[in-house]
Amino acid sequence: MGKGATTSGILNNYVIAAAVSAAAVGTVLAAFAAMPARAQSGQPITVGVITELSGPYSFFGTACRQGVEFAEKKIAAEGGVLGRPLNFKIVDDQTNPAQAVAAARSLDVQDNVLAVTGPTSSDIALAVYGYAEQNKVPFVVPVAAFAQLTKPGTHYTFRVEPDAVGWGYAAAKFIAAQKPGAKLALMYNDIALARAIVAGIKYQAPKENISIVSDILFPQGSNDATVQAAQVVAAKPDYVYLATVGAFDVTATNQLLDLGIKPEQIIHNVGTTSTLLGYGARSIGSIYGSFFDANLDNVTAEGHQFVDEYTQAVGRIPSYVENFCYNTPYIVKAAIEKAGSADREKFRDAMSALNMVEPTSGVPISFDKNGARKEYMYYMQLTGVAPPKSYTAKKLFYIEWAPETLPVYDLVK
Amino acid sequence: MRRLLHTAFKPQLFLLLAAGLLLTIVVRENRFFAFVAGITMISIMWAAGMNLLTGYAGLVSLAFAGIAGISAYTTVGLVMRLGWSFWLAMPVAALGAAAVGVLLGLPSLRLKGFYFALSSLVIQTVLSLGFVYFVNLTNGDTGISQIPPPDIPFTGAVLRGTSFDLLLTFAAWFSLVAVWAIVHSPFGRRLIAIREDEVLAEAIGIDVVRNKMLVFFVGSLFAGVGGALYATYVGFASPRSFDLLSSLSIWLMVAFGGRGTLMGPVVGALILAPVPFLLQQYDTLKDVIYGALIIAVIVLLPGGIYGALVSFARSLPLLRRLSTPYKKSVPHDRSVHGA
Amino acid sequence: MMSSAALLVAISVITTGLVLGVIFSLVAAGVTIVYGSIWLPNASNGQFFLTAALICWSFATWLAMPIWAAALLTLLVSLPISYLLEATLIRRFYDVPDRNIAYFVVTLGVTQILSGIFSVTYGRWSDQFNLPPVVSGITFIGPFPMTNNRIFVLAAASVLLALLFVMLRFHPYGRALRAVFQNREAAALRGVNVRAIYRLSFALGMLSIFAGGILYGMAYSFDLTVAWTMAVTAFAIMIVGGPGSVLGAVVVGMVFGFTQAAVSIFANPTVATFSYLAAMLVILLIKPSGLFAR
Repeated sequence: MGKGATTSGILNNYVIAAAVSAAAVGTVLAAFAAMPARAQSGQPITVGVITELSGPYSFFGTACRQGVEFAEKKIAAEGGVLGRPLNFKIVDDQTNPAQAVAAARSLDVQDNVLAVTGPTSSDIALAVYGYAEQNKVPFVVPVAAFAQLTKPGTHYTFRVEPDAVGWGYAAAKFIAAQKPGAKLALMYNDIALARAIVAGIKYQAPKENISIVSDILFPQGSNDATVQAAQVVAAKPDYVYLATVGAFDVTATNQLLDLGIKPEQIIHNVGTTSTLLGYGARSIGSIYGSFFDANLDNVTAEGHQFVDEYTQAVGRIPSYVENFCYNTPYIVKAAIEKAGSADREKFRDAMSALNMVEPTSGVPISFDKNGARKEYMYYMQLTGVAPPKSYTAKKLFYIEWAPETLPVYDLVK
Repeated sequence: MRRLLHTAFKPQLFLLLAAGLLLTIVVRENRFFAFVAGITMISIMWAAGMNLLTGYAGLVSLAFAGIAGISAYTTVGLVMRLGWSFWLAMPVAALGAAAVGVLLGLPSLRLKGFYFALSSLVIQTVLSLGFVYFVNLTNGDTGISQIPPPDIPFTGAVLRGTSFDLLLTFAAWFSLVAVWAIVHSPFGRRLIAIREDEVLAEAIGIDVVRNKMLVFFVGSLFAGVGGALYATYVGFASPRSFDLLSSLSIWLMVAFGGRGTLMGPVVGALILAPVPFLLQQYDTLKDVIYGALIIAVIVLLPGGIYGALVSFARSLPLLRRLSTPYKKSVPHDRSVHGA
Repeated sequence: MMSSAALLVAISVITTGLVLGVIFSLVAAGVTIVYGSIWLPNASNGQFFLTAALICWSFATWLAMPIWAAALLTLLVSLPISYLLEATLIRRFYDVPDRNIAYFVVTLGVTQILSGIFSVTYGRWSDQFNLPPVVSGITFIGPFPMTNNRIFVLAAASVLLALLFVMLRFHPYGRALRAVFQNREAAALRGVNVRAIYRLSFALGMLSIFAGGILYGMAYSFDLTVAWTMAVTAFAIMIVGGPGSVLGAVVVGMVFGFTQAAVSIFANPTVATFSYLAAMLVILLIKPSGLFAR
């Protein structure tokens, strides 16, 4: 290789260097010329959506995009906000933090968006968080459960999904309510979300008189849990709490069932429609955490409409991910109306003072001074599956708590 | 050192510096393009280091990004936890990362040719797992947010905006100067001899493993300095920033541009580094285009883009006439590009 | 006398080690056959492994085919894919001296294209995929309940590995293939059609990788991330076993499978992963050309 260069003279190096530089500068100048004009009043209000349309999180990013697009259409049909259209500009972050930061920058600088929203993965959200806080861009996080997104001192970031340490707290409360003095086994992947949940469980379990009899951490990319399932069986727990991800979640569930753990003993951290269907009929009776479920009684008329339209378009019922992403544009809309303008500072203040309910479920939405939402969680029991479209489930437990109830920012750094 | 100074004043390197600075200044108003340009400058630096390993010493190191990651996390740790100045933390971290790189690479440095690449792939996997596993040091896969930009020593101010961009441009340029100087030194010639024929190199008295270790250390320094700059420039570090795919994309910049030439990796980085940022709207096709581009270059332009550019330039009558008289006066240039 | 809990764990280690081991071995054998003959380090082996599982899943789910028919058809599909790749990309480098680098780049390009396609198609559709079991029911091995489906996967993979060995050892093609492995110039002089052997070994390697992917999909749920995990595992097995050695691939593949299953009793699974990758580096230090290199 490089044979062509072997005999090249020094001037060729010159010429190439000059050509390369000229091309680079030219490209950038051309890009400048194509830059859009800055938004003026009367024009649409644009909100940036940075989400994972490719890479390992493309499933969640795509689900989120669908939720946002449904709401965007409905808001447009209802006449926009302040008499102006509310547009959502969707950008792929490739499940890569650097790309997400670049996207935030691009939306901030090029499109002059009012706010950004979108990432479904905690590390991506945290990367955007750094940019948003530093550059004073309001950031509404629909589905990333990492507590540090609303650590003390946070000013521009608002977390719509309850934080993961709290999920663990809710799990301990739920288990204590189901069976006092229960013995619990933990199986989880080495990911930030799962570590935060487990930190919450371990904090709350002693207070609820729950003993943890097995604690198994799997590296990312694990594929078999048979041996660990055998160890869990040997420890004779009352419940097994699973915070495993992706396909391994389904594999681990099936291997627990193979070894004689009953579905009623299995608690999944959360359930999306595709994973609940993936567990299959043999896991009917198992329990999962949730924040929205089409089977809940409190789903509003608008919620049912969303569920029906979504099911028709996508082929399966929406889960909490799509629901958060559907509600987020409404949260943004409510805050713009409250602010009375599309000014970033006024929007931020309005978000901070917001007091509304989720259009789809009537669950209250308000944020504390750090942008953390009033937390809540459901525990549901799977009662039937109808692949590939839907499943049925019933509510076992509901809990609300204030973000300050447990020291989340000390438990997870 | 004298060689380095001498090299720095090579006219074409000067021209490159001028172009880099011009680019940085032209894009400074638009912070998005400035950011893409900044990342590209870091990529040039990484590609230059990778080129030293791959192009001149024949070592395809797929643990490159992992080593950059060690340096990035160390720098961030020293600055954010111990309050060190960036300018003290960065060299310490880069040297440390390069040393760790050599330690990990030691078994595989004895391997010939391609087995080295394969085992470096495994080392990268170990490092990626480590970044996730050692939560206390790296904050796991959540990553570390709000990394402060470098301080300006003795002033209490920090380096941000265009001045940071200019620093990156100088860093990228300096790494090219360093590669040029190394390649022209006796050490560089030993490396090329090893790349061409290890057995022969050994036969004429070159200590192959020792020279490989040395170049691996130097190449890893490029990775380390780039990693420290990357984390502070993006303001965020997570295992995903320093994974196997990152190593591969740096390596692709070198192969794509033309390895074993000074300018090839620059061309590769200039083309490939901005692509993912500029194609953010085309999520469906992006990876397919990227992959097809790679295949097309290897099949159609085996010398890389730069090799093709050079042959094209030489085919233009005007340039041929201009360049001919210079050819005889710089015979040593052959050894630089010797393939 | 072992307690029943200890026995349960012990048998689970053995069965898990066997199932993982045979699948690892099949894929690594596919990779090592191709590298040993053509010098093609197939960076896209993980993507093709995933391709096989996804094709089989599509046949079973969308075309509602019985799983065994879907699996056989998927194996057949690998042949035109291999042919197409060989004719368009692989063949043109047969005479390039340091072609392993060129091949590595090309297969990385293929990896990029395939992962790009999968992440915006299957990846958006679901975050996990399951094949229906080939056989249902559970068989007790002592206190340990093993699904018949996993027993089937274990048996099928073992039969395929045995067939591969028999073919390499006794069939004329296999003998020619091994001659090329050892010395292609000498083989050419003895009248072996080296290019035909290249083509055959590429197809055979891909078939092996496809079989591994299908069987993996039968034994486990899978998602798109399995491609990289498997690619790295297969490469690691090939390095330790000695590139070009099918015996090495199988022995080391089994060792990897058992290590992964067993170490997690003593340490957490992450530490287990570290330890066997570290073991690999140590083996390289002691015997750089791999354990079973000729």
